[in-house]
Amino acid sequence: MSAHAAAKPRTRRRVPVVEGIALAVAALVVLMAVAGPLLAPYDPYAVDLSRSLLPPSAEHWLGTDSNGRDVLSRVLYGARVTLPATLVVIAASTLIGLLIGTLAALGGKVVDEVLMRITDIGLSLPAIILALGLAAALGPGLSSAVIALSLTWWPGYARLVRTLVREVKDAEYVDAARVMGVPQGRLIFRHILPNALNTLYVQTTVDVGAVMLVISGLSFIGVGAQVPSSEWGAMIAGEANNLTNAWWAVAFPGLALLLTALAFNLVGDWLRVRNDPTIRQEAR
Amino acid sequence: MSTDPLLRIRDLRVSYPAAGGMAEVVHGVDLDLAPGERVALVGESGSGKSVTARAVLRLDPDARLSGGIELEGVDLLGLPQRRMREIRGGRVGLVFQDPLASLNPVMTIGRQVMQPLVIRGVSRRVARRRAIELLERLGVRDAEHRVDDYPHQFSGGMRQRVVIAIAVIAEPALLIADEPTTALDVRVQARVLELLHELAAERGMSILLITHDLGIVAGFAERAVVMRHGRAVETGTVDQIYNAPRHDYTRALLAAVPRIGGDVTRPLAVIGAAGNAPEEEES
Repeated sequence: MSAHAAAKPRTRRRVPVVEGIALAVAALVVLMAVAGPLLAPYDPYAVDLSRSLLPPSAEHWLGTDSNGRDVLSRVLYGARVTLPATLVVIAASTLIGLLIGTLAALGGKVVDEVLMRITDIGLSLPAIILALGLAAALGPGLSSAVIALSLTWWPGYARLVRTLVREVKDAEYVDAARVMGVPQGRLIFRHILPNALNTLYVQTTVDVGAVMLVISGLSFIGVGAQVPSSEWGAMIAGEANNLTNAWWAVAFPGLALLLTALAFNLVGDWLRVRNDPTIRQEAR
Repeated sequence: MSTDPLLRIRDLRVSYPAAGGMAEVVHGVDLDLAPGERVALVGESGSGKSVTARAVLRLDPDARLSGGIELEGVDLLGLPQRRMREIRGGRVGLVFQDPLASLNPVMTIGRQVMQPLVIRGVSRRVARRRAIELLERLGVRDAEHRVDDYPHQFSGGMRQRVVIAIAVIAEPALLIADEPTTALDVRVQARVLELLHELAAERGMSILLITHDLGIVAGFAERAVVMRHGRAVETGTVDQIYNAPRHDYTRALLAAVPRIGGDVTRPLAVIGAAGNAPEEEES
């Protein structure tokens, strides 16, 4: 009886600690991306070979890389490269996915069939191969990586949107709205999509981490951001040879990548709960 | 009966595509509804009562309709989709059986009640005011604030009032209520029917009540049409149907209504006993 009473307040904990930390990390990364230049103690591109590969110290908190550049400054600037590139990929794929998925779900059998076969083709293209091809065609660079990734990322969203819209469009409340004379456009934008998109939000937020990793991966293998850039994957690639004698030059951009991806995953999950009014009710 | 009905249905036949052709589920129903009149369409599940009601608004794109449906003298079967949309929600409102399923879970109550007005060009401010007034009229307490709530924050009875508000806010001439009280408990049922009755009286609105429950018809409707197997087997005033049912099926339905003080050990009448084929007794 007393054990039960003692346990009760603990189960009613109101602050989601893990989500709070994740949100803080995600916010920090966004802040880094926005205010990096103000926070960075050094010029991230200033080469000083006399100060190369210094371990972390009071002067260089995260040490220096083989070219004597301050790792902290480069990690801070890196957020400005990786994050916007990721958001562009997510935004572009969401837009394409929404359009294709909704058209497929509502456009009838033939439209559905054609769009889904195109989507299948898209799904079968590996991002890395397409990026390599695009890098060959357009020249290597972050924009090639972003284009390649957008072109391979949307089919997943198109499929998801199609499934969600098909599920919602037969819901009784959509029928009820139609019965009240609600025109087709409003039916789609006010009734079908808002109910279908909760799941998509979550997917996109969770995908921020994944896209970030692929962009950095592409930079790492040399088809993404190029050499002086402080993109995290490119930083890791540039210093990979020094891993044994100067771990900091590789570990800190790696850690930044890991924490950011993890934070966005957790935030995505938390958003799902927050955005679903029925789940919110149960949580109260 | 008035010579100029609000709704006139003649020889309505409804078929759906089925394996190997079309399957007819409503076989020639006639129905008249005078302005301000309350008529019940009664029958068991699968009798075609809901299909008939949905046919009035041409809600099922798959259904093939023939016969005549006239609303205020306009032939609905010949109307283009655009005009049909104005009729839906504008001249004819529809209340569904399940009040939770027929509300959009992510749209506030207020916006859903306002919607039939907003899509007809009424300003948001005016529509909101009218939504609040109507919800208050229907007994939603503190409607001023509750319009910003979501459907899951309402109880079953309150949701059904919201659904009714959506159906009547554009002041339709006819309200079709498809089993409006089936999902509600008995006390709330009575109140919802009372509200529908009051609204009809205040606005001169006709109501077509679709139900399987003869028990609620008596206090509510003036006339009733009993349907079975896609045919109207009996039509008459509620008095006639209750006191002098002409069709065996109606008698069996009446016998199935539980009564206080009734003999609960008596076996129920067998509906559809031999010699009671509906084809033989069309009224």
